[in-house]
Amino acid sequence: MAESPEKTVMLDIDNVVKRFGGVAAVGGFRMKVREATVHGLIGPNGAGKTTLINLITGLFHADEGTIRFAGHDLQKMAPQDIAALGITRTYQNVRLFSGMSVLEQVMTGCFLEKKSGMFASFLGLPSARADWRRIRDHSMELLRRVRMDHRADELAETLSYGEQRRIEIARALGSNPKLILLDEPTAGMNQAEASEIGRLTHELRDAGLTILMVEHNMGLVTEFCEACTVMNFGQLLADGDPRTCIANPDVQEAYFGRKNDATRIQALR
Amino acid sequence: MEAFLDFWAAYGSTVTFSMVNAFFALSTYAVLSAGVLSFTTVTFAAVGGFLAANMVGNFGLSIYAAFFLSAVGGGLASAIVATLFLRLESHWMALASLALVLITRVVVLNAPGLTGGVYGKVVPMSISQLDLLILLVVVTFIFYRLHNSWYGLTARAVREDAAVASTIGISPFRTQFIAFIVSGIVGGLGGAAMAFTLQFISPETYFVGMAFTMLASTVLGGSFHWFGPIVGALIFTALPATMQAVVPAIEDVAKGIALVLIMVFLPRGLIDPRAVGLRRAAKLREEREKRAAGENANG
Repeated sequence: MAESPEKTVMLDIDNVVKRFGGVAAVGGFRMKVREATVHGLIGPNGAGKTTLINLITGLFHADEGTIRFAGHDLQKMAPQDIAALGITRTYQNVRLFSGMSVLEQVMTGCFLEKKSGMFASFLGLPSARADWRRIRDHSMELLRRVRMDHRADELAETLSYGEQRRIEIARALGSNPKLILLDEPTAGMNQAEASEIGRLTHELRDAGLTILMVEHNMGLVTEFCEACTVMNFGQLLADGDPRTCIANPDVQEAYFGRKNDATRIQALR
Repeated sequence: MEAFLDFWAAYGSTVTFSMVNAFFALSTYAVLSAGVLSFTTVTFAAVGGFLAANMVGNFGLSIYAAFFLSAVGGGLASAIVATLFLRLESHWMALASLALVLITRVVVLNAPGLTGGVYGKVVPMSISQLDLLILLVVVTFIFYRLHNSWYGLTARAVREDAAVASTIGISPFRTQFIAFIVSGIVGGLGGAAMAFTLQFISPETYFVGMAFTMLASTVLGGSFHWFGPIVGALIFTALPATMQAVVPAIEDVAKGIALVLIMVFLPRGLIDPRAVGLRRAAKLREEREKRAAGENANG
């Protein structure tokens, strides 16, 4: 399952630099994500993976370099405009909206999919009401996909961590994205639940979506990702087939500190 | 019936002032529910109040036309304020809005042609309690519709996590701008309602006292549902008045004690939909456990 070169490049990150004070969290990083693939992004803690996702979604702006998505330059674009291009995401430390029911979370995620204007919705025009019902049904369908429809009316914050992660994925799918960025989607899940997320990524890919997944579960990466990029200290360490990547001695060293390099192990924490 | 009339004689004006304060509390809630803590309602109220006073006093407009213009005036003022203030980070914005309250008073003092300056302005018309109630019901209905429409959902999202909302495609600026406009319109209406109730307005009418009352009402009643500010305004206005009848000179103490008690025991206010959801979740969990225990016993 090597990276198929005939697929077009959907996301092109070139020489991107992001500094916080004197520290370059991302220092001249480059990677390409091809259309309709499940792409794994791995690397030890502090490698800059989440920073990279924040750069792609516009929450941070890069100091140098370019990020291109489907012909658009994402530099200096506002997050909501990037979302409108078709990029959505989940968060490493689940960020659902407090006080909202499960269904409301997903409906909010469908914001870009609504066809009625805010004012029409405020007035309660028949067309707006019909559109609201359509979005509600669509949200229920998305919840069924992550097997959370039986909890639709419950307050999301009362559910378990794994359930909240699945709700967040449903919310991210609400805007009907082209590229979805999953930041450690299986953290805190058991193997069965994690495999379920893996299968979901394949379902989504088969429907035409591109998935970039930050993941620490190597079994999951080798089983479900077609391409893989390894990041370390904000830079590219390895790129290509997941098995080859993980077997790469540099990658092994970055994760396990093979040379017993004490200072490096400290940096990994 | 007689008891009711007695009550009305004693507390009729308290009810009126509760309704007037409800406008200010709702105006504060309008921005707070989109994640903006702002005292600018005072400024919108001053615009609405003095506009209404001038329209009725100098131009002989009807009270309804004056209300309409006050709403427009408050809305325009809020558009300017929102454009300037929404560039600021939340806590700086709160401070800037407080500064605007002080500036408002200085402007009112120094524009005697429009405001009567330090002597204040007499308002030659008053509003009936019924008209005030109708206006409040209309405004409340607007908040009800806002809450149950796309705006309500996006405002809640922006309030809880603006960054996450933006990655969903919601513009925090646009949402908070709409919130400010609503706040301005309702604040302007409230300012006019205040003018037609007191029938005399001065620089002190629209000052920190009002800022304190409206924010306290919103916090006390709850800022997570439109019903909260209304309940808050009613209690915060009625409580000191009724307490005064029992123990004179307790007004300010009662206000303070009520506020502290609510903040400690109900930090999200009296009306809190989330608390209902949490209780429901606890009940559901209990039922599930009971059912599971029953199945285990049977099996």
